[in-house]
Amino acid sequence: MQQRKNNTTAKSRTHAKNDPAAMQALLVGMTLLFFAGFIFMPLWLVFLQALGKGWQPYIDAIREPVALEALRLTLLTAAIVVPVNAVFGVTAAWAISKFSFKGKTLLVSLLDLPFAVSPVIAGLIFVLLLGSRTPLGSWLGDHGIKIIFATPGIVIATLFITFPFVARELIPLMEAQGRVEEEAAISLGAGGWRLFRMITLPNIGWGLIYGMVLCTARSIGEFGAVSVVSGHIRGMTNTIPLHVEILYSEYNYTASFAVASILVFLALVTIGVKTALEQRLEGSHNTRH
Amino acid sequence: MSIDIRNITKSFPGYTALDDISLKVATGELVALLGPSGCGKTTLLRIIAGLETADTGSIILENRDTTHLPARSKNVGFVFQHYALFRRLNVFDNVAFGLTVKPASERPSKQEIRDRVMHLLKLVQMDWAAKRYPSQLSGGQRQRIALARALAVNPKVLLLDEPFSALDARVRLELRRWLRKLHDEIHVTSIFVTHDQEEALGPTGSW
Repeated sequence: MQQRKNNTTAKSRTHAKNDPAAMQALLVGMTLLFFAGFIFMPLWLVFLQALGKGWQPYIDAIREPVALEALRLTLLTAAIVVPVNAVFGVTAAWAISKFSFKGKTLLVSLLDLPFAVSPVIAGLIFVLLLGSRTPLGSWLGDHGIKIIFATPGIVIATLFITFPFVARELIPLMEAQGRVEEEAAISLGAGGWRLFRMITLPNIGWGLIYGMVLCTARSIGEFGAVSVVSGHIRGMTNTIPLHVEILYSEYNYTASFAVASILVFLALVTIGVKTALEQRLEGSHNTRH
Repeated sequence: MSIDIRNITKSFPGYTALDDISLKVATGELVALLGPSGCGKTTLLRIIAGLETADTGSIILENRDTTHLPARSKNVGFVFQHYALFRRLNVFDNVAFGLTVKPASERPSKQEIRDRVMHLLKLVQMDWAAKRYPSQLSGGQRQRIALARALAVNPKVLLLDEPFSALDARVRLELRRWLRKLHDEIHVTSIFVTHDQEEALGPTGSW
C-alpha cells in the first residue's frame, strides 16, 4: 500500500518537472543517504558482526540446539497463527463489509486495538488473564494445561498482535466489490460453501495472501508481547527474537548477530514475496471494472 | 409460469419502500414496472427473487407459495443493473455457473453443459467471446452475457433490474429491441424494472 502511494507521488513529481536539477539531486541524495544510514548500514552491520569471527563461529551459533529450538518455535508459532488469523480475518472482513448489524462501528474500531496497544501491555493482559495465580490459569493448571511461560501463551499473544492484518487488508477490497456477485451466485442456486469457494475466495485471493504475508512477517518478528508471556526458558519457550536478545545481553555478540541474521533473512524473503504479490495485486486491480 | 404478488409490504429504517403491493403477471408475459428512482421497484424485484424478505404478504409462483424459500431454491433468473458478472470467471464459466453448482444428482453432464452454454451464447450473439473475461467486454456485451447466465438454469421467471440504464442510448435501443425479440422466442415470464418511460413502453408494447 505504502509503496503504491509513493509511486504515484514520484510519478506526478516527474510529470511536473518544475524541480531544478539541483533540487532533484538534493532530494535524491537525501533519500539515498537516509537509506544508506538507516537501512543498508544496519543490515550490513548485522552480517559484519555475525561473520566477524569467520564462518565457523557463525555456523556454530546457528546450529546450536538452543538456536534451532528457537527457530522451530518461531516457525511453529507462525504456522499456527497465520492460518488461524487468515480464517478469522476473512470471517471478520466478510461480516463487516457485506452485512450491516448493530455494533459494527465498534467492531471495526476494536479491530485496530492490537495495533494501538503496546505489545508489552498485550502480553501482560494474557499473563493477568491466564497466569498460574489467576482463577482461570490455576484451573487450567490443575488440569495439566500450562499456557503462560509455555508455547500456548506465545501462540495466543502472537495471535492477538497479528489479528488485524488480514481483516484490514480485506475490508476495503470486499467493500469495493460489494455483494452483487454473491447475490447473482445465490440467485443461480449456489449454496454457501460453493459461493465462497467459487466467487468470494477468488475475488479476494491476492489480497488475502498479501495480508497473510504481513501477518507472517509480524508473527516471526514479534518481541514485546511474546517476551512477557514466554518466561525466556532456553530451548523451551524462546523464539528467535528473544534468543537474539538473550545472547546479546550475555555479551555473546557474534552468536547474537548470527541468529539475528536468520531474522533478517526471513524478513528479506517476506519482502520479496510481498513485492511479487503487490505486482500481481496491482494487475488484478486493473482488470476490475 | 405466472407470478402472483399479494399484499407485499416492506419497510427500511426511516421509510416504507412497499406498502401493500399486489400484482399479477400471466404466464409468458413481459411486464414493465415504471416509476422514478427510489420508489421501490427494485425492492419488489429483490423480494420476488428472495434477495430481500418482505415484512408481510406473499409471492406465489404458479400456485406455489415461494415467499419463504431461500433465494437459491427459487429458480428465478435475475439480471442486475450493473451486470454482476463473476470477474474471475470467463464468459463460458459465467454462463455455466448455474449448471455447475447444481447438486450432483441434477447436474447435467459436462458435454450437456457445454452444449447448453454454447447454445445460449449463440442466442445472445456472444459465442465468439466464450474465453474472454468480463473486463474485456463492453457494457452491452456484459449485459447480454448476464442474460444468458440467468437463462442457463431455465428459470421459471426472469427479473430484470434496470438492465439497460448503464448503457449508452444507441446500445440501449438495440438491446431493447433484441430483448423483445428474445422474449418472443423463449416466452419466459418476465418483469422488467425501469425509470425510463420510453423504455417501459418499448420492450413490453410495440414500437
